[in-house]
Amino acid sequence: MAQLVDAPDAAAPEGGRGGRRPQRLDRVPRSRQVGRVRWYTYAVLALAVLACLFPLYWMFVVASAGTEAAAEMPPRVVPGGRLLVVTQLVFDTIPFLRSLVNSLVVAGLIAVGQAFLCSLAGFAFAKLSFKGRDPLFLLLVLTMTVPASLSVIPQYMIIAQLGWVDTLQALVVPGLVSAFGIFWMRQHISATIDDQLLQAARVDGCGSWQIFTRIAFPIVRPAAFVLGLLGFVNAWNDFLWPFIVLKSPEVYTAQIAIKALQSNLTVDLGLAMAGSFLVTIPLLVLFVFFGRQMVSGIMDGAFKG
Amino acid sequence: MVPHTQPWRPSRRQLLRTALVGATGLGAAGATSACAPQAPTGPRDFTFWSFTGIGQKADVERFTSENPGVTIKLTEVGSSQETAQALTTAIAGGRVPDLALVQAADLPKFALSPDNFVDYRTLGGDDVGAPYLDWVIAQATTRQGQVIGIPTDVGGLAVAYRKDLFAAAGLPTDRDEVSALWPDWPGFIETGRRYVEATGNPFVDNAATSVFYQALGQVSEQFYDADGGYAYTNPQVRQAFDWSLDALAAGISARVDSFGSAWNAGIGRGAFAVTCSPSWMLGTIKSQAPDLEGQWDLATIPNGIGNWGGSYLAIPAAAERKEAAWEYVRSVQSPASQLRHFVDAGSLPTTPENYSAPELVGSTDPYFSDAPTGAIFTKAVLDITPFPVGRYTAEIGTELQNAIKAVELSAADPAQAWARGVRNVEVVVGDL
Amino acid sequence: MSATLTPQAGRVTRGTTATTPVESRWERLAPYGYVAPFYLLFAVFGLFPLLFTFVVALYDWNPIGERTFVGLDNFVRLGEDPRFWNALRNTFSIWVLSTVPQLVIALVLAQVLNKARLRFANFWRMSMLVPYITSVAATTIVFAQLFDRDYGLLNFFVGLLGFEHIDFKNTVLGSHVLIAVMVTWRWFGYTTLLYLASLQAVPRDLYEAANVDGAGEVQQFLHITLPSLRPVIVFTVITSTIGGLQIFTEPLLLQPTSGTTCGAERQCQTLSLFQFEQGFGVFNFGYGSAIGVALFAIIVVVALVNYLLSSRVGRRA
Repeated sequence: MAQLVDAPDAAAPEGGRGGRRPQRLDRVPRSRQVGRVRWYTYAVLALAVLACLFPLYWMFVVASAGTEAAAEMPPRVVPGGRLLVVTQLVFDTIPFLRSLVNSLVVAGLIAVGQAFLCSLAGFAFAKLSFKGRDPLFLLLVLTMTVPASLSVIPQYMIIAQLGWVDTLQALVVPGLVSAFGIFWMRQHISATIDDQLLQAARVDGCGSWQIFTRIAFPIVRPAAFVLGLLGFVNAWNDFLWPFIVLKSPEVYTAQIAIKALQSNLTVDLGLAMAGSFLVTIPLLVLFVFFGRQMVSGIMDGAFKG
Repeated sequence: MVPHTQPWRPSRRQLLRTALVGATGLGAAGATSACAPQAPTGPRDFTFWSFTGIGQKADVERFTSENPGVTIKLTEVGSSQETAQALTTAIAGGRVPDLALVQAADLPKFALSPDNFVDYRTLGGDDVGAPYLDWVIAQATTRQGQVIGIPTDVGGLAVAYRKDLFAAAGLPTDRDEVSALWPDWPGFIETGRRYVEATGNPFVDNAATSVFYQALGQVSEQFYDADGGYAYTNPQVRQAFDWSLDALAAGISARVDSFGSAWNAGIGRGAFAVTCSPSWMLGTIKSQAPDLEGQWDLATIPNGIGNWGGSYLAIPAAAERKEAAWEYVRSVQSPASQLRHFVDAGSLPTTPENYSAPELVGSTDPYFSDAPTGAIFTKAVLDITPFPVGRYTAEIGTELQNAIKAVELSAADPAQAWARGVRNVEVVVGDL
Repeated sequence: MSATLTPQAGRVTRGTTATTPVESRWERLAPYGYVAPFYLLFAVFGLFPLLFTFVVALYDWNPIGERTFVGLDNFVRLGEDPRFWNALRNTFSIWVLSTVPQLVIALVLAQVLNKARLRFANFWRMSMLVPYITSVAATTIVFAQLFDRDYGLLNFFVGLLGFEHIDFKNTVLGSHVLIAVMVTWRWFGYTTLLYLASLQAVPRDLYEAANVDGAGEVQQFLHITLPSLRPVIVFTVITSTIGGLQIFTEPLLLQPTSGTTCGAERQCQTLSLFQFEQGFGVFNFGYGSAIGVALFAIIVVVALVNYLLSSRVGRRA
């Protein structure tokens, strides 16, 4: 595990990025360092962090204090002791556990699909030569600028034709591979894998499949893992498409389940807040373990000036 | 196949292995098709979609306890509008429930394409609609005579009021005396004015729903005329609209949107002293303010009559278990069962032969200070003159109501409200 | 051609796979197999629906009823439909209200986070990504409550200060601000990280030289930070535009009692939500698709502006 955690750093290309990581900065003589850090710097940051975390805290307060807390005046600011009771109520109102499992299955399969398929295609674009490669890649980049949501109506028609309305594969299959992921992995593979290594493997008689599975993928696996993480988060939080194709509570993803909690006639906001909190917990847990990778993944994939 | 344990921390090998499985696509389909709605297995089992707040669960539970071995997969989620939309999506997508609850306002759209539903005459004979109120079954009958819905309940109207708050304002609390305060809507508004003067607190939850929508249910002609033409600017509709503007001008509204979170909270917090309630809304009031048992009471609605909503059970034509669904509908919606449902859950029967039954006439509700709910609500629906409805009945009502909400919630100019409402209706029904 | 698309391509020799003299047929076809999943899925779930949107838009198409060819009627109607122009205005307004503060906040925070001697650097960075992993649905439910007219925390303080409670949800500006706050909350940390990554590529010598020359923090920000970030700023403006055109969940969940209109006056109904209302609310697939076509036209305009902007930036650089 520890190895995996540290892997992105080890595998990250070093060229031209000296001095990026804080621990390295400590080696620069303090007197010469840029950016004096004054107290107001920390005040600004603390304010930003407070803004980031308070809504989640508030969610927890209402969820733990029960339905009445949402309408208390003056508003409640400390958590109550009814989290289990409210949670039970959420589970009684809708098949919430089922929807959490659904979300886990959908997001998990998408994460794995993206990590693998985007690496594979990224590898082909970065390291293999084939006719039509450049136009194909240009097409791929262009697809990123057209938001899928503008054609949801025909998308729904296709899903209906396939008989996939109200099934989870309607979410999983279209999300298994993404243009962004391929683009991202291509950049990574171009930058991290030396051609000579691949050439040597060729000479040894390896085909492109073996080269990918035995050499290239193991090297970029940390990056693929981060891509999978981002894919997981996005799939977990997706709303519009699941809202269109899922109609039965047994197939609801967690996001659709909290929408259902919110619009029921006889329940109120406390329940919806509890649902929102429960939906967020799994990602928070994931984030505690892999947040650092996500941060560095987002920064690595960033547009460099 | 996929690590389901949390937190999601696959080892490298696991990651790769699952990657390979997931990547085949077949793996994906295999894993997820198991999560598709499972078709009930027994021959009498079926799936049933309902919206919330209407208590279908009670019916389902009684039916299954009386018919051991039958499994009904009941889905009770969201609002009536959302259920109608889900049903449409399902019909278009080819994967339908065997039975669905549709609210009256959503029915005309489905009646436009009656082939999507089972004609109940093919299951129950030509007189399948006979036990039900004429004007109610008429709404579920197409021009060609197909019957696509069996009515479960009607929404007779009453005013729910807080006795304790009325007493504090120096108003009478006895339900007959309270009813006498408002023979009509101007009387209702005047009472509100007195309440506000005495207490400084808002009187009614809102004008858009509690005044306009109720008054709209009392007209003899609403948005369509008898020939199917538009009539939404007719004087009765205009009058209902103006009463609600009067209520706003009088400052008696708490300005909370019905069914919103502030409304739900307000029921228990005395944010308003009255709300106009169809029979099916009583359950909502009870569940939002369980502590207020005995503080709420029911008075007659201004103008005495009126209906809001009511629902129908429809069987999609593509349903797999039509017979099973029909068996349920026939049993649960028989006059005797509807009467029992009224006694248990309070929704008003659609079968007039029950209206003289002692269980109904004599029924009272302890939560509402032992008000004779049966008598109050039946009186409201018996003398209704049915008005024609059409494809856009729901949308026209929403647009006009929104014009009032704009004044009530968003401080729009009341003098422009009617013109704006009409214009918005024109846009919605325009050139479709 | 693709070299222009690969910012990092410089140092690596690209595509120089050793081709053995006799390459098997499989080896020649394999690359197509590797990229095929994307193009296959894209063809089915991306390209075809996109093209078919243009076809459906020519029909009066009821998914459970009849469909009739109506030519360009849907577009004529769209041009006259005040709901469309209203949704366009709302979308644009929410986009401006969410993009501008988000970029400003992110610029400031990136500058702050880039300080070499900052303590707990990882903690600050990670905390700012927490909103990003919170779902839009959960975010909306919480913010709608925090900004509630009667029972919201914010209005409690407004009331304490002696002012009248602000009704965010039911006014045009208020609802736009509320949605913009949610969008900003969700994305400012992410954008900060992008800017920070870009800033870290700026040689520190520049700042040190500025320090030696006695340039203050504000001057450094204006003369070093801003110019070096220009490409990434353009990039984030584009992505936030594409994102802004798709804002859907916030207005849908903000006003659960209004169905798909986001309020009685459609005060915060976005284009995406209007499309949903027409497509899956009243099930007019044709008209909904016409709205999709309008969205596409807007994207094309945005892409053109993007092209002009970035080529100007490129020339200046």
